[in-house]
Amino acid sequence: MYFYSKKHLNLLRELVISQYKLKDQSKFLGFVWSFLNPLVMLSVLFMFFSLLMRNTIEHYVVYLLIGIIQYTHFSNSTFASMRILHNLKQLTSEAVFPKELLVISSIISNVFEFIISLLITVAVAYILGVHFSWSIFLLPLVFILQLMLVSWVSLLLSCFYLYVKDIDHIYQVFLRVLFFITPIFYDLSYIGGIAKTIALLNPLTHLISFSRTIIIEGTAFSFEVWGIMFLANSVLIYLAFTLFKKFEPTFAENL
Amino acid sequence: MAAVVSLKNISKSFSIDVTRPSAFAVLKKLISTNGHYTRTFYALKDINIEIEQGEYVGLVGNNGAGKTTLLKTISGLHKPDNGEVLINGELNFLAGFGIGMVDDLSVSENIYLYGAVYGLDRNKINEKFDEIVEWADLQNFTGAKLKTLSTGMRTRLAFSITRYIDADIFLLDEALSAGDKSFREKCEKVFDNSKRRGKTFIVSTHSLEFVKKFCSKTLWLHKGEQMDYGDTESVLKKYIELKSNN
Repeated sequence: MYFYSKKHLNLLRELVISQYKLKDQSKFLGFVWSFLNPLVMLSVLFMFFSLLMRNTIEHYVVYLLIGIIQYTHFSNSTFASMRILHNLKQLTSEAVFPKELLVISSIISNVFEFIISLLITVAVAYILGVHFSWSIFLLPLVFILQLMLVSWVSLLLSCFYLYVKDIDHIYQVFLRVLFFITPIFYDLSYIGGIAKTIALLNPLTHLISFSRTIIIEGTAFSFEVWGIMFLANSVLIYLAFTLFKKFEPTFAENL
Repeated sequence: MAAVVSLKNISKSFSIDVTRPSAFAVLKKLISTNGHYTRTFYALKDINIEIEQGEYVGLVGNNGAGKTTLLKTISGLHKPDNGEVLINGELNFLAGFGIGMVDDLSVSENIYLYGAVYGLDRNKINEKFDEIVEWADLQNFTGAKLKTLSTGMRTRLAFSITRYIDADIFLLDEALSAGDKSFREKCEKVFDNSKRRGKTFIVSTHSLEFVKKFCSKTLWLHKGEQMDYGDTESVLKKYIELKSNN
């Protein structure tokens, strides 16, 4: 078990504040900019796919919005965290503190945006006539899983990025592929064969499906699947963290 | 008295090949049947020293002698190939002033961030904020972006915060190379105060004056090797002799 001292927790707070300010989100315009990208994606996808999907998918705007918000958070958060050790190379190589704090601070600084996006999604769903049930209160459980997924992916990527310089380009391509193999603008029932298997192996598919179930359908998701995902992500966080700590003493010489 | 820093047979080597290859190069290396051979050089070879509480140790040597590598190895930023590093107490490593400061943040935001990197919490900073700004002569710049400050102003700001950092053992890398004469004098006062409080310092520097004035012991490194370690007067005598012969 790993414990952090008060000094380290204070450093984590200051790192989060700094990164948040650097993203310019403390100012209204900066805040608007961070929502512009998902909004444009939503408009384009709605324009091209609504005719095709709206007869089969109920509340297609909300359906799309949930997929886009969760995918955008995953991709933005993991991409920023991947580069954090390298971007803050002076801190990584010349200051003494647990370096995972940099990765965690990057993840947390992206969380605020995600929480607000989720709240906006719920508000939009309400305005568009979606009837909520008690299941809406399960949303924090989806949020926890999403953060766990982002955490282990970020720990691994940030570490690899110090050893292989073009991981960011490879990851960018992967994220583009991920957008299509995640049912963001289509339903799982539209695909079959190997495509469906790939989509089902993708953890984002399940996370997005959980949110849609509790917001749009107003029912609870499968707790069994949630439990399996929680366990799997816990193990993966442990493995990613162990690997990160194993490589940490060699970070400085790779920068 | 028990040693607070003890280095036993410390060696550290680095690869001189590309440290961050492309994914293609990594794959090529993995499937290569020719075997891997990494070219390395030794930055530190078999270093053995013991430092007691309250001692000021000067680290001298030419550029490339291994001074920074040694400080980073003591602080845990580098993992030694061989040997053992034993630390007894809380340690803080200052690799030059201003490490971790961010150009696009304001002076006051940087005070909180820089302080936190070296273990100062918000309450402590709030308490000392005015003194920090005043010592650095930056009263009219707290809202300015760090990038608008000159190098001298940044150094003053960083050192001003550094005065409140607490630790048992301080490692300073080329700490006094920056700043003008009056700044160096201000810094020396701070060193004097710390000495009285029984703190341990290991200072890498090119300033032999500083070493003579503050350090009871000196470690002389040359191309990663420990040339001599002992009382400052005798080590510096040999160091200066060799330098003048070359």
